[in-house]
Amino acid sequence: MNLHTASEIISFAKKLENESAKFYEGLAERYSKDKDVFLAFAEENGKNVTQIERAYYGVITDAIESCFAFDIEPDEYMFSTELADNASYSNALNKAEEIEQKMVNFYSDAAEQSKSLMADVPRIFAIVARKRSNRIPKLKSLVEKGGQ
Amino acid sequence: MALLEEPIKEIKTLRNFIGGEWIESKGEIVDVVNPATCQAIARVPISTKDEIEAAVEAAQEAFPDWRTTTPLARSRCLFRLKELLEENFEEVSRIQTQEHGKTIDESRGETRRGIENVEVACGIPTLMQGYFSEDIATGIDEWVIPTPLGVFGIIGPFNFPFMIPLWSAPYAVATGNCVIIKPSSEVPLSQTRLAELADEAGFPPGVWNLVHGGRTVVNGMLDHPGIEGIVFVGSTPTAKDVIYPRCGATGKRVIAQGGAKNFMVIMPDCKVKRTIPALMTSFFGNAGQRCLSGANLVIVGEDDRFYNSFMNGVTDTASKIIVGYGLDESVQMGPVRDTEKKERIIGYIESGIQQGAKLRLDGRADIKIVGNYPDTCFLGPTILENVAPDTKCGSEEIFGPVMSVMRAKNLDEAIEMCNANSFGNAHAIFTSSGQYAREFQYRVTSGNVGINIGVVAPMAFFPFSGMKDSFFGILHTQGQEAVRFFTESKVVIQRWL
Repeated sequence: MNLHTASEIISFAKKLENESAKFYEGLAERYSKDKDVFLAFAEENGKNVTQIERAYYGVITDAIESCFAFDIEPDEYMFSTELADNASYSNALNKAEEIEQKMVNFYSDAAEQSKSLMADVPRIFAIVARKRSNRIPKLKSLVEKGGQ
Repeated sequence: MALLEEPIKEIKTLRNFIGGEWIESKGEIVDVVNPATCQAIARVPISTKDEIEAAVEAAQEAFPDWRTTTPLARSRCLFRLKELLEENFEEVSRIQTQEHGKTIDESRGETRRGIENVEVACGIPTLMQGYFSEDIATGIDEWVIPTPLGVFGIIGPFNFPFMIPLWSAPYAVATGNCVIIKPSSEVPLSQTRLAELADEAGFPPGVWNLVHGGRTVVNGMLDHPGIEGIVFVGSTPTAKDVIYPRCGATGKRVIAQGGAKNFMVIMPDCKVKRTIPALMTSFFGNAGQRCLSGANLVIVGEDDRFYNSFMNGVTDTASKIIVGYGLDESVQMGPVRDTEKKERIIGYIESGIQQGAKLRLDGRADIKIVGNYPDTCFLGPTILENVAPDTKCGSEEIFGPVMSVMRAKNLDEAIEMCNANSFGNAHAIFTSSGQYAREFQYRVTSGNVGINIGVVAPMAFFPFSGMKDSFFGILHTQGQEAVRFFTESKVVIQRWL
């Protein structure tokens, strides 16, 4: 079922951030050479949740279209965080890239659809989309450095 | 989608908060029922005359000390209340959904709007400054000092149980007065929690009081010579025929906000994609139970193609609204408050049909409730077309999720329709034309005017206005007007001989 209310979108964003944070914490344990990068990503996910919640709780009022602003199909943005036991480092990084792309898509679409809400909400979605998108070249560089 | 956790888990009998103590009432006890589940969630007392009198006495006793507490110290209590409300934001919001039925997004919105009033009132050291003129005559100076008056009664409605008393209470106490809040006995839980937090915030005993009940408490407030003023939000008959004249008779200040019949005027040049969600919130948000709700949709122009395409969009979107228990995050519209209100709304739908309206979407029948809840208090969105503005359905306040659609040849006719109605609360226009918008804003008799805004809810630092049968009084709640309402201007003229 599609997501329509702001409350659903915030909960969904939280779920995606938490799942991807766990994924990066797993990578940090498994591939210690780039541990710092992965842990930084996981920590940033937590901050994203705080910022999104702060924007939502800060500007939500009964007068805006919080129950009618969105039409998001959640399956389009869901990702698997499972890695096979024998997955190579390169496989893991590719999976991370896929996750980031899904997150960028989700936040970009959420930003677009929430334009009828007070500006802080689409603004924070766009900011997080940009932050997640900045991770992609970073992940690519890890692949190039020795992900093979 | 799973339900969010309910904060009210056991049925308790609520108590009054008088003079800093939680006191059991001797009045009759009635159940508070969650309209979505139809289960009792609390018991509320219908307090007695003696109990309201005890509250007035406690407030009067607290007044002299509170009045001489510095504005800065009073604002610190409000800052603490604001912090406590932020800490308990989610709990307070979920209580509103449990007691009233509104969706969780709507409840959070209500909580935020309430807190915003506390935030504005925190600025009382500057908000209540007087003004000074040197040398009004040679060697003579004159100044004005806003001074508090004493005890105020605040009577809340059922539709915004948490927020509406906060349109006035923070300003009343910030200016040095004491308050007695009487919430609606249908939805008394969020005000009870608010009183607990006010107590924790450190207001001295007797400054913030809560008395549950019904008519006896209201009459007790209206008749008591120790109450300086009343803030009432509710129906027009009560505001107009009871609160306003009786405050006049006993020399009380009064803010009496009544009902509404808001017209949403659609110009053919409006941005349809953005207008439809705004209309959904306006007509069906809070299940239509708000004085800022859209009631009549007026489509301007004789272009049938625009009319049909616009109405197809509206009907299609309305028919997909997810109805259910507001603690399910996917729900877009909750139940109405109780069966009596539901029957009243259905009566209006039936009268509309009898008076020639065409039923385009029937909320009585076309309703699917998400989750396994009784349909006792649920109604789906209803759209009636071809409604004449002078019929019962087109002119009276329905206070439910019903959209009455009418057409106007041009903007002039639409404005005449708005102004012919006895209410004047929150009319709105949807257009891309600055000229239409200005013309509408200038000519329409409405306390709040929306331009591409479906729910014209003024922020805490603006007055919550209203005209004609929507408002009785002079000054309004919120912001600077509330500060003026809760203070008397003392003028000093001084000459040193």
